Amino acid sequence: MQKINKNVVLALLSLTSLVFLLFQLYYYKFYLSQKNGAVLSKVRGGQSGQDSTRWHVVKKFLGLISSHNIPVYLIDPLILGLVDKDIEQIRSSPNGPSPECKYFCAPRDFTTFALLDKTWKHEVSLFRTAEKMGFQWLKIINKDPRLDGMDDLSGIEIPLHYIFKLASHAIHLVIFYERSGNYLWHGPLRLKQHTDRKFVPFRKLHFGRYPGAYEKPELLLVSIDDLKVQIPKNPSSFLEEMSHSRFLECRYREARAFFQLYPDDASLDAVEFRKKAKSLLHLAALTLNNLGVKFWLSSGTCLGWYRQCNVIPHSKDVDLGVFIEDYKADIIPAFQKAGLPLKHKFGKVEDSLELSFQGEDGVKLDIFFFYEEVDHIWNGGTQAKSGKKFKYLFPKFTLCWTEFVELKVHVPCETLQYVEANYGPDWKVPVKTWDWKSSPSNVQYNGVWPVDEWDDVIQIY
Amino acid sequence: MDEWNPNPAVKPHKKRSWYLAWKYKLMNQRALRKLCQTGAVLFLLVTVIVNIKLILDTRRAAYEEEEESAQDYDDELLNVEVARHPVSNKKVLDVEVYSSRSKVYVAVDETTVLEDEAREQGRGIHVIVLNQATGHVMAKRVFDTYSPHEDEAMVLFLNMVARGRILIFTIKDEGSFHLKDTAKNVLKSLGSQVAPFLSWRDMWTFVGKKGGEVYGEKHAKSPALSTWGDPVLLKTEVHLTSVEEAECHWPDTELNRRRKRFCSKVEGYGSVCSCRDPTPIEFNPDPLKDNKVFDVPVAVIAGNRPNYLYRMLRSLLSAQGVNPQMITVFIDGYYEEPMDVVELFGLSGIQHTPISIKNARVSQHYKASLTATFNLFPDAKFAVVLEEDLDISVDFFSFLSQSIHLLEEDESLYCISAWNDQGYEHTAEDPSLLYRVETMPGLGWVLRKSLYKDELEPKWPTPEKLWDWDMWMRMPEQRKGRECIIPDISRSYHFGIVGLNMNGYFHEAYFKKHKFNTVPNVQLKNVESLRKDAYETEIHRLLGEAEVLDHSKNPCEDSFVPDTEGRVYVMFIRMEQEADFTTWTQLAKCLHIWDLDVRGNHKGLWRLFRKKNHFLVVGVPASPYSAKKPSSVTPIYMEPPAKEEGAVA
Repeated sequence: MQKINKNVVLALLSLTSLVFLLFQLYYYKFYLSQKNGAVLSKVRGGQSGQDSTRWHVVKKFLGLISSHNIPVYLIDPLILGLVDKDIEQIRSSPNGPSPECKYFCAPRDFTTFALLDKTWKHEVSLFRTAEKMGFQWLKIINKDPRLDGMDDLSGIEIPLHYIFKLASHAIHLVIFYERSGNYLWHGPLRLKQHTDRKFVPFRKLHFGRYPGAYEKPELLLVSIDDLKVQIPKNPSSFLEEMSHSRFLECRYREARAFFQLYPDDASLDAVEFRKKAKSLLHLAALTLNNLGVKFWLSSGTCLGWYRQCNVIPHSKDVDLGVFIEDYKADIIPAFQKAGLPLKHKFGKVEDSLELSFQGEDGVKLDIFFFYEEVDHIWNGGTQAKSGKKFKYLFPKFTLCWTEFVELKVHVPCETLQYVEANYGPDWKVPVKTWDWKSSPSNVQYNGVWPVDEWDDVIQIY
Repeated sequence: MDEWNPNPAVKPHKKRSWYLAWKYKLMNQRALRKLCQTGAVLFLLVTVIVNIKLILDTRRAAYEEEEESAQDYDDELLNVEVARHPVSNKKVLDVEVYSSRSKVYVAVDETTVLEDEAREQGRGIHVIVLNQATGHVMAKRVFDTYSPHEDEAMVLFLNMVARGRILIFTIKDEGSFHLKDTAKNVLKSLGSQVAPFLSWRDMWTFVGKKGGEVYGEKHAKSPALSTWGDPVLLKTEVHLTSVEEAECHWPDTELNRRRKRFCSKVEGYGSVCSCRDPTPIEFNPDPLKDNKVFDVPVAVIAGNRPNYLYRMLRSLLSAQGVNPQMITVFIDGYYEEPMDVVELFGLSGIQHTPISIKNARVSQHYKASLTATFNLFPDAKFAVVLEEDLDISVDFFSFLSQSIHLLEEDESLYCISAWNDQGYEHTAEDPSLLYRVETMPGLGWVLRKSLYKDELEPKWPTPEKLWDWDMWMRMPEQRKGRECIIPDISRSYHFGIVGLNMNGYFHEAYFKKHKFNTVPNVQLKNVESLRKDAYETEIHRLLGEAEVLDHSKNPCEDSFVPDTEGRVYVMFIRMEQEADFTTWTQLAKCLHIWDLDVRGNHKGLWRLFRKKNHFLVVGVPASPYSAKKPSSVTPIYMEPPAKEEGAVA
């Protein structure tokens, strides 16, 4: 009796358990299919036409965009790379039908488009339509850097990136802003606390790891894979630009702290010097850019940017750095033509080259040429009266864009190391007396020029 | 889903049980029972696992949902309405209202929404408007009905409040001296029984619903002229209605969504929140043909005068050729209501942390706003600068579009301004006429970027210098002899009565009778003659044709100018040197034009209209135009009044 009872109880228990289990499984399946049904079905569909999904998503997106008159252009490096190979053909037949889906079906997770902020009005209706079309979208906003340099404006937040997701493909829309210095800027992509980190594989995005600076592109309307789309007129140069587009914002907050400690010189002389230095820098940038010579802010000018986001009023010149490989013989005549006569030339192309040009009203433009070694980079200095040579050593660096006195210019990305090498750990403290032969912490004595070379390596005008 | 496989340690155990069960079955009959037992346990175990999995999945799904909504939240963050004071779901509000000589306060559900015990301030009737559904404070006003005309403002305000809103009134100090019958009747129509009999230094509190019930009223009569009524404290309950009832049912459009958001937060903007026939918030004025200022950014400098800002933006957005995308409103301080107004019109607004005090604060706000404008619109060569207390003429942009090229090409120009300091009803006549003047009028003007970036910004007065920005800009160090172009009839109208340097009397004397152009599409006359040299030719031509007035008459009298129309007359006044404005100031005073400082002059010449005749005043001998004076004419000299007299006047 007891045994039977036990068995019955066990059987009953098992039965209930089974029923319960079945019910739960049913419920589980029901719940899940309701929740993720859309996704599941799309995954199934994707098996057969993963390639065309991408094309369809892009087509839908372009439809959405054009229905709201929003002028986007394609900046996807993958597709632009493919397009670039056939660019002649695409340019010559802008309307021709394409036999196969060659570009928009290429395997990738995203398609990246760009949008110029000022060409559209932030319309809520766009996102409503997008949702109706089945897009899920994500907006990345952040502080407006154009107002960041200002003391006390409650920085309004601006949209930097949008991501539109449909099925297994996503569209990354990068918003470009025009900034002082006649260039375009896009922001970094930083997720806020509550953002869904799995919305898309963010790490695979081509834009957004760093902010970037670009020239205003010339656009071309083309038809590829039967889709009409704007692309940069010259995809290869755009891709080249993209690879060096990293942008550094000036450290406005630190600059403000600096001015709290050392109030800015607001004297008329300081105002005048800054004005002259600014126009000299603009002229130098124009001249070098026309020659295609890459340059960066060096020495005191770089320190001014890094420490106080402005020209140091008690510095007496504008300093630029150029890699010796970029040296061109045309530099001197070009500056002369621009109204900046050569003041002196020290060294030679092979060693310690340095050019000084005389700007307006006594402001001098110094161009130092940098020589790359295995583990460091250096530039040279020459004392005119004694023929002594000096060497300034820097750790290796790459170049980033920044904005300085309404100009898009290069600075070393590793600015702190650069400035510290040059000015030592106390670079934050303003120094008014500076001796270029002994003050820098990276200066080394480098011998004396042979006397018979003096005529060549020490030229003073 | 796979990653959610719970507790991997369970699996081997399960396998081992099976294995053991088999083994027992083979080895022992009794093992059957054990098998059943194990089976049951197994089932139970699986159930538990599935259960756990289910719970985890459900939680994850729920979390995802939460995240999605959180992301929406991020997105809408800017538009989220911030409750002005916490309101529970309660259907009844406790309201406390206190009225006395030196202090008033109002508390709603024990939250103080008004407290004023400052000395010599806040006299009059305080009015608070509450949302009848939420209990939020929608408007707070004080009308100094001890002074004239404030009661009219109160009537205007009360008429604008939507039906159904809860109104709270309380008097501080004195509120009856200039409370006229019209106002008393309006209060009576709201249900007040005391209002018609309110008298000198009475204390009074009242709570009622507009167009509905009265929740309470208390009154304390002043026993004598020299004393005040006893303080009164009114405690009452207000029943809230449902949100649907409190809202209007406008069609669901983008515009109406903005309107709804606005109207549920603030009161006192009249028909914009009317349920039946709301006034439009989008104006779509005619575009301008060949608009040269379409891409010029417009900076609106604002403080905490949201009603002014509302009026200003309405007129701005109604002006032909306006481009709303170029407009940025800069608000000095973290004020909510001005921002609400900006959002109502779908414009962009930036708030500015106030620094420094008074005039210096305005000056710093100006600097920040101008810098921000040129940062936000790096392509712009100019910026239009407006203030929140200006009406903008319908042809404001047309006027600028026709003249802006001068600012670009003529280095001797400092600005283009929409305001003529001397352009009063009786002294301005020709909407197509422009002048060059040595003073900078402001009040709606165009600033050249190069002027700002190269000259003004670097040496803008620092916060510790308590300077007016406009005074500073007028200083010779800044102006450097350059001139501004102004119209004869102003394209802006200064309606602000409350302001830093402004009060009712001042406004009435100097601003109220200012002429304001209302004619659209005015074709400006002879714009090219405004260039530096051309203007001299033009002035010489004018002086050549001008008739010399009879200098023996009193220039203040009307008969000084003959009863003609469309003629050009000239008079000569004494002006010993460039800075001698003695006679001019007296003349300006008697002509009832701007006399507080010298405005509108060009090389010792003033141009205005009298009796519809062009009227030129030349200062002799300082002005280079003195040569035009016939030798027989003696320049008029007017003596400033003696000091005592001035004090009486």
